[in-house]
Amino acid sequence: MSEPKRMHPIAAVLNTVRQIKDMIVPFGVFVIFGSNNFDLGYLVGALGVAILFLVAGVISWYRFTYRIEEGELRIEYGLFVKHKRYIPFERIQSLDYSEGILQRIFGLVKVTVETAGSTGGGKGDAELVAITKKEAGVIQEMLVRAKSQKTADAESLEETNGSVIYRMTGKELVLLATTSGGMGVILSAVFAFAFQLDEVIPYKKIFKDVSEYAAKGMAFIALAVFIVLFLAWAASVVATLVKYANYKVKKVGEDLVITRGLLEKRQFTIPLNRIQAVRIVENPLRQIFGLASASVHSAGGSAGNVESWKVLVLPVIKKDKIPALLEPYLEGYQLAPALKGLPRQSLRRYIFRGWIMAAPLVILALVFFKEWGLLSFLLFAISAPWSWLSFKDAGFCLEDDSLTLRARGFSRQTVMMKKKKVQSLTLVESPFQKKKELSTITAAVKSGAGASGGKVMDMDKDDAQSVYHWFSREES
Amino acid sequence: MVLEPQTKISERALTVWRVTGAIAFLIVLLVGGGIIVPAVIFDWPIWIIPAVVAICLLHGYMAIWFVPKLRWKRWRYEVRDQEVELQHGVFIVKRTLVPMIRVQHVDTKQGPLLRKYGLASVAVSTAATVHEIPALEIEEAEQLRVFISRLARVAEEDV
Repeated sequence: MSEPKRMHPIAAVLNTVRQIKDMIVPFGVFVIFGSNNFDLGYLVGALGVAILFLVAGVISWYRFTYRIEEGELRIEYGLFVKHKRYIPFERIQSLDYSEGILQRIFGLVKVTVETAGSTGGGKGDAELVAITKKEAGVIQEMLVRAKSQKTADAESLEETNGSVIYRMTGKELVLLATTSGGMGVILSAVFAFAFQLDEVIPYKKIFKDVSEYAAKGMAFIALAVFIVLFLAWAASVVATLVKYANYKVKKVGEDLVITRGLLEKRQFTIPLNRIQAVRIVENPLRQIFGLASASVHSAGGSAGNVESWKVLVLPVIKKDKIPALLEPYLEGYQLAPALKGLPRQSLRRYIFRGWIMAAPLVILALVFFKEWGLLSFLLFAISAPWSWLSFKDAGFCLEDDSLTLRARGFSRQTVMMKKKKVQSLTLVESPFQKKKELSTITAAVKSGAGASGGKVMDMDKDDAQSVYHWFSREES
Repeated sequence: MVLEPQTKISERALTVWRVTGAIAFLIVLLVGGGIIVPAVIFDWPIWIIPAVVAICLLHGYMAIWFVPKLRWKRWRYEVRDQEVELQHGVFIVKRTLVPMIRVQHVDTKQGPLLRKYGLASVAVSTAATVHEIPALEIEEAEQLRVFISRLARVAEEDV
């Protein structure tokens, strides 16, 4: 396979479509603001541009060749300027596959080559937009062979060997789809319901000056908002169902391989030794039902591709099932650590902080809505229990070589990190914290080309110090 | 007890920060003047003038005198065999530990002002974060850069 090859001609069409997609906004602006009278010239012009794109697509397909030579994937492309990109196999982190509708019709697959240090808008890696599955299998096989230096156990793209760790059940899929963006809908349902209550609660008698018409209008608006939100939610449910159908996690060699998708099949590979941290997220709605999601932060992956930094491994699952499922594969991670919470004196700081955040909203409400703005004082009442919840949820756990930090913003997030993967650790102490013997701890891990990590505010000072000690390599 | 970092940054940093503060003060003065002049011409309420003057003076005191002094007093760092520790912050004190094995590279940087005073700043980068020591004497910065990069190389390990 050392002679240069071209991709499947469908790639030309895909190139064209992509270019048109990239140009659609400026083009649309040009059409809308350019002139008011649509005449033949415009039509011809648009058609000409489209044909130009098609020609460019075909030429760029024609000029794009790839080959495998001397343990490197060698790609040459370029319309005017000839580019050559040689990627040594050792540098390739993973091959991710996806199949769009066009690819599926012709039995093709899109292969994205992820390398370690590629930064700057995903420029670093290569993309084979449309090649046959057999070809992809050959590349994969050669990659595996080059990497392990022994005869590959011939993993084909269709059915990669390896043990299945997790297969999403239908029930979980439905749960995932319904609980991912659900809060807005529920809030609006409550809102609409409250307005329906005006038969029970005499709103009109309470606010004499609010005319009947306005009350009806408000109810109508609430209902309309609810319907729109409901439709949006239903659409997102369908989209999620399609996106996450056939969800499967496998362990193949030293990698986790995730496949999913109904219309567009996608496959991600996460090398286990590149995992920087594990994160368990429970959004409030899911938390009520004891559900959570688990993702891993991976080093490398391309800068432009967010999905390759923080990879959802278990999109939604009963929280107590996570350790049994993942611990055998994530060596050294304790996924259900016993956390130590915060001292009592930090509760006041949490509540105070909540109020500070609410204050600007209240002031705005008072300025804009006058007396009605007084209602916004309710925010203070709501923020206090929320702060209490954040206070209750925050905590940490130190265990040999791993650190767990948990905190709540909106969702409750638990981050598990190993000492040798933590890039830096910071301890912060403000004068107020000092008085109450509290400190804030922040730990940073690498995630893709950037940073992520965990933060716990207002920990007990001694606890924070113990975490700091733990991280210091020159303990005296 | 973890050792508190001991090394102070160059005393000349204080001068540089004061100069920077003075430049900021000049800009504030211009803005203040820009308010006072129309206030006099258009007979704006009289309290505006003393308020603006007070704000300008307060800013001057903070930017030229108080903040640089405290900032310099609080800035400590220490480079040990296996880690770099930084401690800084005027009111909120921040302490950071960066293990040597996580250091990716070290940069020294010098703006025109730092150069005039023979200073340089040193930035220690990990794969995820960047930590800056703002003003060291140039030989010291250079030494530090060489030292850290040598130690960091010894501790080569995959991310």
